[in-house]
Amino acid sequence: MATINFTINGKKASLEDVDPEMPLLWAIRDNLGLTGTKFSCGIAQCGACTIHVDGAAIRSCVYPISAAEGKEITTIEGLSENNDHPVQKAWIEAQVPQCGYCQTGQIMAAAALLKENPNPSDEEIEATMGSVLCRCGTYPRIKKAMSQLVKK
Amino acid sequence: MKNTNINRRRFIQLSALAGGALTVGCIPTSDGKEQAINLASLSDEAGFPLNQFIKITEDGTITLFTHRPEMGQGTFQSMPMILAEELEVNINTVKIEQSIADRDLYGSQMVVGSRSVQSEYHKLRKMGAAAREMLVQAAAQQWGVDAKTCFAKNAQVFHKDSENKIAYGALVQAASKLSAPQNPYLKPVSEFKVIGQPIDRQDIPLKTNGEAIFGLDMQVEGMLHASVERSPVFLGKIKSFNEAEVLKMPGVKAVVKTKRNVWGHEREGVAVVAETYWQAYKGRKALKVKWDNQDLEKNSTESLFEAYKEDAKKTGDSLHKDGNVAPIFEKAENIVEATYEMPYQSHVPMEPMNAIVHVEKDRVRYWGATQNPNGVRSQLMRQFDMPAEKVGINYTFMGGGFGRRSQTDMVEEAADISKQVNAPVKVIWTREDDQTQGPFRASQINTLRGVLGENGEIAALEHKIVAQEIRNQTGDDMTAGRQLMGGVNTDYQIPNFSVKGVLQKNYVPISYWRAVYHSTNPFAHESFIDELAHKAGKDPLDFRLSMVKRHPKFEPALKLVAEKANWYEKAKAGTAKGVAICERSGGYFAMVCEVKQEGEKIRPIKITTAIDLGICINPDTVKAQTEGSIVMGLTAAYAGLTIKNGAIVEQNFNTYPLLRYHECPEIETHIIPSADDPAGAGETGLPTVAPALANAIFNLTGERIRRLPLDKMNIIAG
Repeated sequence: MATINFTINGKKASLEDVDPEMPLLWAIRDNLGLTGTKFSCGIAQCGACTIHVDGAAIRSCVYPISAAEGKEITTIEGLSENNDHPVQKAWIEAQVPQCGYCQTGQIMAAAALLKENPNPSDEEIEATMGSVLCRCGTYPRIKKAMSQLVKK
Repeated sequence: MKNTNINRRRFIQLSALAGGALTVGCIPTSDGKEQAINLASLSDEAGFPLNQFIKITEDGTITLFTHRPEMGQGTFQSMPMILAEELEVNINTVKIEQSIADRDLYGSQMVVGSRSVQSEYHKLRKMGAAAREMLVQAAAQQWGVDAKTCFAKNAQVFHKDSENKIAYGALVQAASKLSAPQNPYLKPVSEFKVIGQPIDRQDIPLKTNGEAIFGLDMQVEGMLHASVERSPVFLGKIKSFNEAEVLKMPGVKAVVKTKRNVWGHEREGVAVVAETYWQAYKGRKALKVKWDNQDLEKNSTESLFEAYKEDAKKTGDSLHKDGNVAPIFEKAENIVEATYEMPYQSHVPMEPMNAIVHVEKDRVRYWGATQNPNGVRSQLMRQFDMPAEKVGINYTFMGGGFGRRSQTDMVEEAADISKQVNAPVKVIWTREDDQTQGPFRASQINTLRGVLGENGEIAALEHKIVAQEIRNQTGDDMTAGRQLMGGVNTDYQIPNFSVKGVLQKNYVPISYWRAVYHSTNPFAHESFIDELAHKAGKDPLDFRLSMVKRHPKFEPALKLVAEKANWYEKAKAGTAKGVAICERSGGYFAMVCEVKQEGEKIRPIKITTAIDLGICINPDTVKAQTEGSIVMGLTAAYAGLTIKNGAIVEQNFNTYPLLRYHECPEIETHIIPSADDPAGAGETGLPTVAPALANAIFNLTGERIRRLPLDKMNIIAG
């Protein structure tokens, strides 16, 4: 058992007596009550659990909490104050979500990509967005939203 | 739940309003604690319910209740749009809230078969119109004028002959005391201002910032978590498990046997119950369960298909008959024959199955994501011999359903565990559990035979379906029912046509999956129609047109898709097109798929559809559903489940590849304008995907696809 300290959405968090192997996903959802980050595959195949650790998109379902020590973590709840991050605005504009369950992962993946590279090529967009699954089939609208974001 | 009879104020003024669709029109105030956190409690402070769908407060706030669960299909917005149309309010300024689960109030609240808008259209229009007339009547009374000289617009009532106008909020107290009109005036379609507009969905902003609450997100005070090891061969029985060892693990509170019923089969599992999910999951991974798997491990995809193929030789039960095929086949010199195979499929909603249930001495409560809130209540009533009012149902948004969440086995199991540990229990299925436990989309073999006449027309066609039937999975009745022939096009003008079914029964559980048998049979039917067109030397689209002459839906849809997809233009090098048509849930689809050779691979690059779904409440939602159906149809063409040693091989997304962003073709949806009553939009785009794709591949390569999934044939690697 371990004590892990990190910053999440700008606030300090300290988790005591946790299994260091526990994926960060469950700490975020169950210990900290931030349920916007989703569980779906548990093996880093679908991206529903995508969060930012020190600015980079990671799959929290396979990221052991011990690795989060001292890190700056951002979840969907901390992406913007008023649902007004450019990616969120583009997603609403293109009416992307259907069930919405995977969209946290889609938005967090897109936000990390655009932060690192505001003008990614089609191939770079495909490499990032191709790693997040959507069973509802919102891909045509994600494509529309991404093209709006990259044009700007 | 407190005594609901005391907590409910019932307003009976809308009795008999909906002409039998609803026997009582009324509104409850519910125990606020019963509600999930994103759900409506109809109990809040001031507010005058005009009926169970509409509440207006004196400050003018208008709340419209949507009474069917939302899984992505968009009824959260489209059902209130129907109310708003007749109520004369702006859908963008009203509040939309999910209603409570109450079959007495709302009728069926199950979301299956793309039925919600279709079945509720008239009911909701009447509800909106009745409330509007009550408000108009209240204004007329206040002004002392004839209600016929007043009209409603934009949440106000106006007097035609004066400057008088009054807002709805100022009228609701008086209006709510009026009796409801039994036959309110309904607008002509030509005057619709809300219905037919591509209006932004109110649930979408909640789904871009983590605010939307799904079943998995629910928390209940004092709740324990469970992870369940279930038989990999579905019907295995537990012989023993290492309870003492697992009980020693951190946080583990109990290790118990559990069970659930899936379409007549009792299924067993071992649940590890712990303080947190992670502890329950780790405990479960340490479980060593000895199963009595009888001889189920001898089953494989090959052995099951062998049995299907053997049975395909049987005559089968007649499901549909036009004319008489027998004499034509007897005399024919050339009979065209083909067999098509389709695999089992998982539903794979991104939100895995889950449920929270708390079983107490005198009540049971459920929290979760379900397509079937009434069914969950019935399940718990049966399971614990409780009356309806002692069973609390709290339903959330669903992270996808696709039919899987119409079943209640995951609720039964969670309830069984809760009862044993005497605490609220949340069960979360892993992706592997979700993927391998079923119930699945049916796997089947379809054999077709056809004879062409002198002019290349179809003289006789026989379609035989060899498959399990969802509603008849156990017992001795081996008669195939009409459910099996879903998606077989009976609108084609073929003089001699017969559909037969050979019922299969085996241990693999099946259930409803998006479009149900319309997700399988059309692959065989529309591929074979294509085969006959080529045998006849005819253009496959013209061949179909010749068989849907003067059909009010199919003929215009085929003509439109031909135009929009440039069907008659010469194909560019390395590309080809295929066509298919199908009806589902009253909606008519014509689809053209264009494929392209890219090195070793063939990819669909564009899918064009022309659709007639009657009046579309929200055309943007219809387009979204069409895109979604096509993406799901493509995955079902590329991927499928196989069985080895009695169990499902493909456990997670690494072996069951869902279509990804960069693999999605361009999708173009053309809606044919219509004033007819709405058809279902949630599944209608799916049936034509596999055959249109397979027919395109044939046109490109000359190779006929008769078995899905394609990936197993190395034709398309996604």
